[in-house]
Amino acid sequence: MDRNDHAAIQAVLAGDKDAYGALVVRHSHTLFRVAFRITGNEADAEDVVQEAFLRGYRKLDGFESRANFSTWIYRIAVHCALDRVKHRRADEANLVGRVSESTDPEQDQVQVADQAAGPEQLLLSSEIGSMQLAALHSLTPTERTAFVLRHMEDRTTAEIGAALGIEPNAAKQAVFRAVQKMRRRLAPLRVAT
Amino acid sequence: MKHLTEEEMIVEVYGEGEDTAAVERHLESCKECAQAFAELKRDLADVNRMEAPARDEAYGQRVWASIAPLLPVYTREKRRWWAAGWSTSGWLKGLGYAAACALLVACAFYAGRVWEQRKQPAVARVEPKPPQARQPIVVVVLDDHLDRSERFLVQLKHADVDSAQMVSPLRDEARSLLAANRVCRKNLAQKDDPELATALDHLDNLLAEAANEPGGLNAESIARLQDEMNADGLLFEVRVLRSRIADRKAAGANPAKGGTI
Repeated sequence: MDRNDHAAIQAVLAGDKDAYGALVVRHSHTLFRVAFRITGNEADAEDVVQEAFLRGYRKLDGFESRANFSTWIYRIAVHCALDRVKHRRADEANLVGRVSESTDPEQDQVQVADQAAGPEQLLLSSEIGSMQLAALHSLTPTERTAFVLRHMEDRTTAEIGAALGIEPNAAKQAVFRAVQKMRRRLAPLRVAT
Repeated sequence: MKHLTEEEMIVEVYGEGEDTAAVERHLESCKECAQAFAELKRDLADVNRMEAPARDEAYGQRVWASIAPLLPVYTREKRRWWAAGWSTSGWLKGLGYAAACALLVACAFYAGRVWEQRKQPAVARVEPKPPQARQPIVVVVLDDHLDRSERFLVQLKHADVDSAQMVSPLRDEARSLLAANRVCRKNLAQKDDPELATALDHLDNLLAEAANEPGGLNAESIARLQDEMNADGLLFEVRVLRSRIADRKAAGANPAKGGTI
């Protein structure tokens, strides 16, 4: 465990609340990245980061000193992001019957960083990004999170299982299903290119 | 080797295969699997890693500023004992708590032994018998009294008023029974047996009249007493009570069955 993290936690538990600020500053960017990848939404990702640090603070007295704070708070953030996606899906399901056909689909698009230079490549890239995003949205929250952690965050199956609170084999199966669904959804893209 | 499954290929792509060397050998010898594996790698490589929008250096400070007002200050009391953890003072406190617990357990054990030893004589003490043991005596006396009373009432019922030899003993017996009847009434006054109390009252009235008849018993007084006896059904009542008392005597002779009067 990082000695700085350990010292900060001891200080917080001794009554120095501001010591937690150092932990927040140190790990905010990592949490924002994974939260954005899971939620696919910048505003949601920022909310997730705040919620994760709030939950972490409240559970800090039960934190195992031998554990790694960055891993611990990372798992909390994954949980928060997964909860956010699940709630959003439920909300979207409720809205389906009420939303008219005139809804602008661009409002649902997620910002995808793009390094492409030319306008044609920019257009193509945004189209690919939208399809990938749609493919990600077609996954269940657990499959989506497992895929993000495996494919984008380079986490092992064991780490994914621990983060999602499921057995490693179940995490592996979630990744399999996610990859298969993604490939099926993105197959038309391969033909086009 | 059989063809690789998609799952095996996915595991291999992400570098978590258990036997990578065997898979590589198979891919070299099996064009079909090699092509499928290449397509899988290409498809996954095409999936955007979805880089998050950049956050400036002050992002962490902004997050902290937004949540800091919501956080309470930890106090030492709030910390759990196992979270006291790794600091030296934490270890000392832990040892202190352990020693206190051990002392408490030892004191409780010693106190339990002492208490048990003091308690033993009380457990072995013979409990005094309940007052029930006296009851058979009362029952026997009462049974004798009712027996005598029944015989008196039978004699009174069939009394020959013309025979002085028969009338005179009746008066004496009535006096004797009257005294005994009062003793029985007094002894049984606290017992909850209204039938017995009523019968003894009736008997008392009849015996009192027979014992204290001015000028002694004669045909008229005997006839009156017979009427009273018949009106109250006193002879029948005494017989019923005798039967009950006999049952209680039998129960009193066997305490295990329990018997009260």
